[in-house]
Amino acid sequence: MDKKERAFKVLLVDDEDIFREATARQLSVRGFIVLTAASGAAAIEQVKNDPPEVVVLDQEMPGMHGSETFIAIKKINPLIEVIMLTGNTSVDNAIELMQLGTFDYLMKPINIDELLYKIEDAYTRKKLNEKQQREAGHA
Amino acid sequence: MLKKLAAFSKKFFFFQQEEHDPVLEAEEMEALRLTFKSRYHSFKLLLAANNRILEGMADIERALQGNESFSMAFVQTHCTAISVNVFRMISDMENIAPGKYAALKESFVAIQKRIDALLGAKKQIADKRLVIPLEALHSGMTGLVGGKMANLGDIKNKLHMNVPAGFAITAAAHDMFMQADGLQREIDRLFQVAGSDEDRNLDLVSSQIRQRIMSAEVPEPIYLAVVEAYSRMREENNGQEIRMAVRSSAFGEDAENSSFAGQYRSELNVGFSQFFYYYKQVMASKYSVQAIAYKLSRGFRDEDIAMCVGCLAMVDAIAGGVIYTCNPLDAKDDAIFINSTWGLPKAVVDGNDLCDLFVVSRDDDLTIQRREVRKKGYQVVCFEGEGCIRTETDASLANRPSLSDDQVRELADHAIRIEQYYEMPQDIEWAIDIEGKISILQSRPLQQLEAVLPGADLDLKRFESSLLVEGGINASPGVACGKVYKVEKKVDILQFPEGAILVVEQALPTWAPLVARAAAVVSEQGGFAGHLANVAREFGIPAIFGVSGAMERMHKGDAVTVAADLGRVYLGNIAPLLEWTRPEPKLMLGSPVYETLKEVSRHIIPLHLLDPESRDFTPQNCRTFHDITRFIHEKSVMEMFSFGKDHSFSERSSKQLHYRVPMNWWILNLDDGFTHEINGKYVKLEDIASIPMLAFWEGFAAIPWDGPPAMDGKGMTSIMFRSTMNTALVPGVKSKYADRNYFMISKNYCTLSSRLGYHFSTMEAMVSERSGENYLGFKFKGGAADFERCMGRVNFIKEILERYGFRATVNADNVDARMEGHDMEYMIGRLKILGYLTLHTRQLDMIMGNSPLVAYYMNRLTKDIDSLLA
Repeated sequence: MDKKERAFKVLLVDDEDIFREATARQLSVRGFIVLTAASGAAAIEQVKNDPPEVVVLDQEMPGMHGSETFIAIKKINPLIEVIMLTGNTSVDNAIELMQLGTFDYLMKPINIDELLYKIEDAYTRKKLNEKQQREAGHA
Repeated sequence: MLKKLAAFSKKFFFFQQEEHDPVLEAEEMEALRLTFKSRYHSFKLLLAANNRILEGMADIERALQGNESFSMAFVQTHCTAISVNVFRMISDMENIAPGKYAALKESFVAIQKRIDALLGAKKQIADKRLVIPLEALHSGMTGLVGGKMANLGDIKNKLHMNVPAGFAITAAAHDMFMQADGLQREIDRLFQVAGSDEDRNLDLVSSQIRQRIMSAEVPEPIYLAVVEAYSRMREENNGQEIRMAVRSSAFGEDAENSSFAGQYRSELNVGFSQFFYYYKQVMASKYSVQAIAYKLSRGFRDEDIAMCVGCLAMVDAIAGGVIYTCNPLDAKDDAIFINSTWGLPKAVVDGNDLCDLFVVSRDDDLTIQRREVRKKGYQVVCFEGEGCIRTETDASLANRPSLSDDQVRELADHAIRIEQYYEMPQDIEWAIDIEGKISILQSRPLQQLEAVLPGADLDLKRFESSLLVEGGINASPGVACGKVYKVEKKVDILQFPEGAILVVEQALPTWAPLVARAAAVVSEQGGFAGHLANVAREFGIPAIFGVSGAMERMHKGDAVTVAADLGRVYLGNIAPLLEWTRPEPKLMLGSPVYETLKEVSRHIIPLHLLDPESRDFTPQNCRTFHDITRFIHEKSVMEMFSFGKDHSFSERSSKQLHYRVPMNWWILNLDDGFTHEINGKYVKLEDIASIPMLAFWEGFAAIPWDGPPAMDGKGMTSIMFRSTMNTALVPGVKSKYADRNYFMISKNYCTLSSRLGYHFSTMEAMVSERSGENYLGFKFKGGAADFERCMGRVNFIKEILERYGFRATVNADNVDARMEGHDMEYMIGRLKILGYLTLHTRQLDMIMGNSPLVAYYMNRLTKDIDSLLA
């Protein structure tokens, strides 16, 4: 994707201010329209009011945990693709979330290019799913 | 959409000529494109996951060589990353071929369970006592109170030597402390966040964890148990307050060949009012920078190390030190080495001052063979308030021996008895109080090295002019060369370059994390009984201590050769001395972390599914993640590049290539393969956006092929004979779609089925900026000549392909070549080669019986290809 093609909304949810702000800045420079939230509850509000195409969601957050936030987002809009970010590398947890439908799983510390590719892939998948759903509606 | 596709398939078989409905056809073509896009996207994700798995497996294989240290976080992170990506591949495969390979999930779950069992295995502590008095301890309790306290139990209760009164706070207490308020979970998280950057983030991780531990509350049951044990001690001390030594007694700390000791905190002369603060300090010291670095380099698992704590009544020592019951630098020397100084033994252990050395023979009289009485300028003593203080030694004492001969012999006798009890050489810490009573404070196995001596013919005088400093103590034998790096402050640790010569003023335990990274260590002070010397010996790093003037005379960046056995440092690289170099010990081999990875890797790395043609090549036979990966990769390529065959389409959906003139090449655009929407029958080359197709075509059209080479008579007869047997080979026979030259393209994807003359070839390509997803496949089959000549040609093609980096195999009269993972520019070059070969091998089978001609064409083709790539 070139910079223009990346002009879609990505919601970055992480309680660590430094990480969130630095990552948001790096993603913005690469062309994404970055929205941010510092908690699960704020993320859900954001999804309701101004839905993004892709959510990048930290799993380990105080208050509403990343997994709960993920489930709530999917309830509001099942087509939004969610990439989980985590420092918790429990295999069970990772697989469980993949089974529940997270698009992918990235471990911190992240490589910004890897995140960028994953966001692009998640966006492409979302657009395909939307199209397929529309097609199925026509059929 | 599937219904539409089915209808589409029924209606539009290849090249059918019946009436058509343009609107319906466009809709169905759109449905086909959407299916392609979705599968293509899954295929790309699958390939990316496949590459991440292969990278992860390569990392594991590298780690299993045992040369580099790695942590449990490495093991867990890699296992999780591989599992997640295998799961990803299974999900993507499901999207590419719905329902076809459902059994893969069962194989995945079975393998995953086996891995989980290995990673989750943690020894459970059956004994739930939180505090145990010293009187009840023995060496069978290392798994409950740590080796240090368990051994002291034996020395007190079985050998009946004097050991200060005290108790141990157990592993069960450690577990309780760490589980309270999710402390352990938080620590695991911090480690995993640090991930492979643990080295770089060590300071940060260490300080975050220690802060969490220090701010945690000591659980009430531990608090009560300690108060009870202390009260009992006080009662036995006539109700007087007792100052305590609060010392680490962690699992593995006193094990053979490991020198954890000194890396954990020991707090001396603690009043009970401050006890729990220091208890937490000791607990937190499990995560000091030194301890984490040590654990990483030796492959200890954090979860295997319970920090038990020993609490002993403080001995207000007038002299103390360390006994080695044998010479640690020479396994053949069984003399007893007693290191001693004034005040507490801490000064000897910390290695920051010089101390006396008494070497005692094991004869009946315990003869003192050697006395090295040094100036002990400083000593560590109990401070009146709390804690200890390093003070200048009284001038009248500094140069006097810190032990009388009788005391030396008494200590030697203790040492022999302890060694006999444990049946191996020991490293014993001791103290003598004002009444002359010896207390044993610790005993653990002593590591001994084989002495390495220079060849008798080595003339050291040759190197005299290069001698920089000499006169040091051989703290760890061996020779090494490197550049000088002086370390004075803690912050220097971060900048210390790998392979440098560590030069310090004092041989402090603080520098221990640098030892594994250093080529050698030189210290102005310290003795061979100090902790840093232990660590250097353990890691096989040469070390010289007590080298006066080293800091001044050794300059940063100078290349020097450290010859520890000679106690000398030479300027420059003295090659003849380097022959003394000891082999580097592979410290990871056999460590708990290493063994865990080895066990886990058995479910990840071995590949059992080798032959895709075999009947055993099934999802059910996948026994490792590698098997699953291999299976999916093979099948996904097959499914993806046979997309057009499964989804038929009409001739009208494709465009005919117009390259100067209309060509007999047809193109089906599956997504974004054209620069814009093309109306009409033809598409021009400049309208093509497909990167792989354009590259292929460039190679195809670059150099004209001046027709088939002159064939020999046998070649012609062979072709004529085969043509009569196989009508498909006769150009005049009407061909099916599959026999024509067909590209299916998107911007980064291209498949080609071509039939030129008498041979068939297929090309499959994915080429984009994402090197990890790039893939090329090429198959070449057939020919009109006899089998032998066809084989000649496929081998000829195989040789060229291999010369340019393809993996090629020959099976019957097929050559099958692949490559993957290279960057876009490289792949484009290789596609040009495939384009070139597709045209220029046409009818080459004719000349395969003629060796000079074969050599001529090999030479000509490779020259052409080189010019194409130039």
